[in-house]
Amino acid sequence: MVWQLIIAGLAMGIVYGLVAMGFVLIWRAVGVVNFAQGEFLMLGGFVAFTLIEMAGLPVGLSLGLCALIMGLAGVVFHFVTYWPLRKSWDITVIISTIGASIALKETATLVWGPAPLGVKPIVPGIAKFGSVFIDWQFILTIGIAALLMAAVFFLLEKTYLGHILQATAQDQYAASLIGIPVVLATGLTFAISALITGVGGLLLAPIFFVTSTMGSVTGLKAFAAVIIGGFGSVEGAIIGGILVGMVDTFSGAYISTTYRDAIVFLCLILALIVRPQGIFGEKISEKV
Amino acid sequence: MSKKAFWLVAGLLAAVAAAVIPSVASNYMLRVVNMTMITYICVLSLFIVFGMAGQISFAQSGFWGVGAYITAILTTKLHVSPLAALGASAVGTAFLAALLGLALFRLRGHYFGFSTIGVVMILNGIFQNWKPVTGGADGIANIPSFGIGTFEFGTETSNFYLILAVVIIISIVTWILRHSPLGRSFMAIRDNEIAANCMGVNSYLTKNIAFALAGMYCGIAGSLFAFLANYISATTFTFTQSALYLVMLMLGGYNSLPGPIIGTTLLMLLPEWVRFLQEYILLIYGLGVMVLMVVMPDGLVGGGKKLYEYIQNRRRRNGWPNGVAGSASNDLG
Repeated sequence: MVWQLIIAGLAMGIVYGLVAMGFVLIWRAVGVVNFAQGEFLMLGGFVAFTLIEMAGLPVGLSLGLCALIMGLAGVVFHFVTYWPLRKSWDITVIISTIGASIALKETATLVWGPAPLGVKPIVPGIAKFGSVFIDWQFILTIGIAALLMAAVFFLLEKTYLGHILQATAQDQYAASLIGIPVVLATGLTFAISALITGVGGLLLAPIFFVTSTMGSVTGLKAFAAVIIGGFGSVEGAIIGGILVGMVDTFSGAYISTTYRDAIVFLCLILALIVRPQGIFGEKISEKV
Repeated sequence: MSKKAFWLVAGLLAAVAAAVIPSVASNYMLRVVNMTMITYICVLSLFIVFGMAGQISFAQSGFWGVGAYITAILTTKLHVSPLAALGASAVGTAFLAALLGLALFRLRGHYFGFSTIGVVMILNGIFQNWKPVTGGADGIANIPSFGIGTFEFGTETSNFYLILAVVIIISIVTWILRHSPLGRSFMAIRDNEIAANCMGVNSYLTKNIAFALAGMYCGIAGSLFAFLANYISATTFTFTQSALYLVMLMLGGYNSLPGPIIGTTLLMLLPEWVRFLQEYILLIYGLGVMVLMVVMPDGLVGGGKKLYEYIQNRRRRNGWPNGVAGSASNDLG
């Protein structure tokens, strides 16, 4: 029982971690909280449904196509919600992402209908380890998400492109002075952010049903994960995501299924009061 | 248009509207107008916390719910008189907000805003699950209408005048607040908290006052909502609703009193005017919010002011920095 819960919690947590990472990448790049991040997850879920269930494509191909489509969606999102407002106050970008979140939710309802859609698991069946039974879907979710996280880390820390992205995130003006095309860097960051969150949606789709509201709560919980982990820290987002996933799963199993959302956010407030800067702290402190 | 003339015209328009609306509008339309006014009170609360004190808050719809539930529980289960329930909602919500503020204002800037997301989610969880008190998912039904003595505000029209009276009182209070030392210290914190501290403003306490006051507004709005709708359930008091308040405030303009009025009216009545779009309404709504924000980052009032100044004096316009907090001039409100 406990092991099943741990694996389930880890699978949920790592998906929260992916979404949280998406939040952090955008935050670091442009200093804006993207309130439509959860809608990327939802969109990923619907794209997965379209590719796997409607078009009947093999899972591997679907995964690749979903990543590609979500990357493009991220670029479009960047040019619609962020780019025109890049010079104004950050709250205006928040409002425009809230607007985008409403619009995306409604588009999804119009295109795919309001009924929840089921997606078949990537690998059906249950794995048996001794006396413990675990869905393959959970194991695969953890595996794919971990690989994706590793890939993003590698991209950011080890490659030339990653250094361009990080330089732009630190100081857009200075980056533009040394010849970095800022629009490409921020656009690419949005693409990566949407991509990893969308794949998170694809991984989550067989576990839950795909609905137009699946992004809202998951997005907010991932946001809680970002804060618990430390705003602006990619490692923190992952750790925070896993913590939130564990709290979510265990409180659902042992305390109350109905209060699990409330418990997660109670943890958020407690974490904020005890350690406002999060586990890993914020990289750039507030200037006077 | 001078300030005095503006308020004269606005006041006259409001008076005409108050006289005309109940006699020409259908019952349904009147309900929409009543809801708009209730929402306006909530947006005004956000105007205090965010527009004046600069602290972004997503907790307002949670407080709105607290006010509604206090009234509902007091009137249905304890049979308290409506007026006392309204008072209890206002005081109780303010007290809750103050209590939460004491803990949450240890956080600064964006972090405070993030924690208020937690507040609204937790409050919603409580509304939805604490069955013996809040009725759980069923909500609370059969809430009596507002009444003083034997007179009952049972109809939509009488509710209209009741809510309008409250709206006018609250607007005047907010206007006085904005020009009082307390209101000025709110704005000092918004513009630069450290500078405000240096000038002798106790920012922790002052922010708390702003938050509690805003909580009181929401409590009153919640109470009025419970009396109007006679039925409440947890699905009304969500994070999305709070996000909409912020959208309304920002679209109207966060830096002047007409802003919340314009923003709320626009976003509440717009869906009614474009009913014929049916299922596309919310999509257009979302896109409209985005487009408006992109075109007018300072809100409609700020954008209108800019246009006015541009026409008045082209040279002067060049001197305004674009989109910096608090840069918009204060000739209105």
